[in-house]
Amino acid sequence: MRYRLVVRRYKQGWREAEYRAYEVDVDPDTSVLDALEKVSLEQDPTLTFEHACHHGVCGACGMVINGVERLACVTRIGEVARGGVVVVEPLRGFRVVSDLAVDKSRMFSQYALVEPGTLERVDGVVELEKLFDCVECGVCYSACPIANTFPEYLGPSVIALAYRSSKDGKVPAVLDSRRGVWACHAAFECSVRCPVGFKPGETIMKVRRGFLSGKLGVR
Amino acid sequence: MTKKVVVIGGGVTGAALAYDLALRGLRVTLLERGSIGSGTSGRTHGLLHSGCRYVADVEVARECYSENVVLRRIAPFLFEKNGGIFVAVDESDLEYKDFFLKKCEEAGIPVKEVSREEALKLEPNLNPDLKAAVLVPDGTFDPLKVILSFLASAKQRGADIRPYNEVVGFRVEGGEVKAVKVRDKVSLREYELEADFFVNATGAWAKKVARLAGLDVPVKPSPGVMVALDGRVGFRVFNRLNKPGDGDIIVHHRGTSVIGTTSWVVEDPDKVEAPREHVELLLRRGRELAPVTSKLRVKAVYVSSRPLVGSLPAGTGREVSRSFAIIDHSREGAGNMASVIGGKFTTARLMAEKTGDFVAERLGVSTPSRTAETPLAPYWAYFT
Ligand SMILES: Cc1cc2nc3c(=O)[nH]c(=O)nc-3n(C[C@H](O)[C@H](O)[C@H](O)COP(=O)(O)OP(=O)(O)OC[C@H]3O[C@@H](n4cnc5c(N)ncnc54)[C@H](O)[C@@H]3O)c2cc1C
Ligand code: SF4
Ligand code: FES
Repeated sequence: MRYRLVVRRYKQGWREAEYRAYEVDVDPDTSVLDALEKVSLEQDPTLTFEHACHHGVCGACGMVINGVERLACVTRIGEVARGGVVVVEPLRGFRVVSDLAVDKSRMFSQYALVEPGTLERVDGVVELEKLFDCVECGVCYSACPIANTFPEYLGPSVIALAYRSSKDGKVPAVLDSRRGVWACHAAFECSVRCPVGFKPGETIMKVRRGFLSGKLGVR
Repeated sequence: MTKKVVVIGGGVTGAALAYDLALRGLRVTLLERGSIGSGTSGRTHGLLHSGCRYVADVEVARECYSENVVLRRIAPFLFEKNGGIFVAVDESDLEYKDFFLKKCEEAGIPVKEVSREEALKLEPNLNPDLKAAVLVPDGTFDPLKVILSFLASAKQRGADIRPYNEVVGFRVEGGEVKAVKVRDKVSLREYELEADFFVNATGAWAKKVARLAGLDVPVKPSPGVMVALDGRVGFRVFNRLNKPGDGDIIVHHRGTSVIGTTSWVVEDPDKVEAPREHVELLLRRGRELAPVTSKLRVKAVYVSSRPLVGSLPAGTGREVSRSFAIIDHSREGAGNMASVIGGKFTTARLMAEKTGDFVAERLGVSTPSRTAETPLAPYWAYFT
């Protein structure tokens, strides 16, 4: 099948972004990521995007595909193309580094609030010492109307992760502030778009209830 | 004057090397043509080898196991403490068991045989007809995060990390590389970068890159296919108790199970696609290990290329280990350049240490490698 990939391009020093179309011949079950990589290898080596695992676990390839945040590596082109056209744009809510690659510092720089060795017991059997579910893709920041307009907002995933690494019923004080759970307008777009069903929005509500009822303290 | 080194390639080898050299006090710039980990390293199973898969070669197995221990020590937060399990499904597997146990002991890898009942209690999704099971110290990781941890640590020691910067040529004069020519894709410009030493750590691309300088690296890209399933069928890594072959592992991390892998050889790592019959083979072999895999949705099929080390012409290579090689390009007219190829993701730190020794010796720097003892910075520090 022939598809038309319309990619939002932006390079350092440009006054504004531009859209550029590329034609690719791939099977409908090819991922949008593999289609982009094909373009970068065969047509335009200056096209940049972030990718690593190619199977939905590393969170590198979050993009806005035909208007919706997705992981490009687990999105089949045939399922999202409209009339053979796929528009690919960088995640919103982050600074664009180059084309589809964004700078996720705003999310990762808050990780001091998250226990590094999040030790989890799954089914009470095995201990996993890392982030088991959230793939750290930043999709929730892009989907969230608040994160898009309020750069100081901690963001859905970081709040949820900070809550999960709480100790003795206490979470970092900044969660109980305008930058924390009180910024949220309960749009729940984060939970809707999260590619792994981590539901940060629900956790934010839980933290709010915890603060209101006094069951959750701050440190 | 602090000596300058350019490392080409932002896979795990280049990242670990940038860190090793920066820790020795050298001024390092790393160039990667795409995003970090976008070559082979990002696209692996994410298996922290215990060495058991390679027990036929005790040296290689021992090397894997000791690196497994070192990595867990310097960055415990990067690896799941899930372990692995080798299972015998048929008679031929069962025949391999005694050899396997003997070799694991020789290599010093702590393994433990468990009964069929116990194995099924620990991992209910294993094939219920299994005939033997051995627990091993495998682990799993998110490759990108490991690479970012090495790079964060390198940055904290002053290294300059430049993704989206592709080496497109070299300036070679008087038997020395003077500079690399770089295409910067972030601001669409080309520039030259001078240094005292250059290391080509581009894995399956090492031949293509060396050719830009008129040099040769005996590497063959050898791709392998992996099939990712939506859902986690086990906690430990499932391995077939037999000689390494196609479709004999299922690696679990986060909410995913990956069946791997196959192997063939190509000329150009930029022209590789997963053959359909490999996918079918993997799914069939996966079912033999864990029947439930047939019920899971295929989330992704992906493929990447090993940097397979070909035969080294006499005198050009320094075979520092059975599994990887450092190619000294001085005899080909580039006195200050080397290529490092081969190895495993799991052994990247060791490769970097040996390559670091080589570079340090050439530059007259006497600081030894300290990567085996120094804790790694967390991956999120890369962004701060
Ligand atoms: C299918 C498969 C599964 C594997 N699974 C495992 C596993 O589970 N565990 C394990 O320990 N090992 C595994 N391995 C082995 C391991 O992945 C590799 O040995 C290792 O990743 C190689 O790393 P590298 O840094 O040398 O190469 P790469 O990661 O390929 O890095 C080289 C980099 O150089 C870049 N580059 C190329 N050309 C240029 C240029 N001109 N300028 C700048 N940069 C350039 C590339 O983009 C690339 O990022 C697997 C290998 C394969 C093929
Ligand atoms: S919570 Fe979901 S959307 Fe947000 S970073 Fe984690 S995986 Fe991505
Ligand atoms: S490339 Fe890792 S999640 Fe898509």
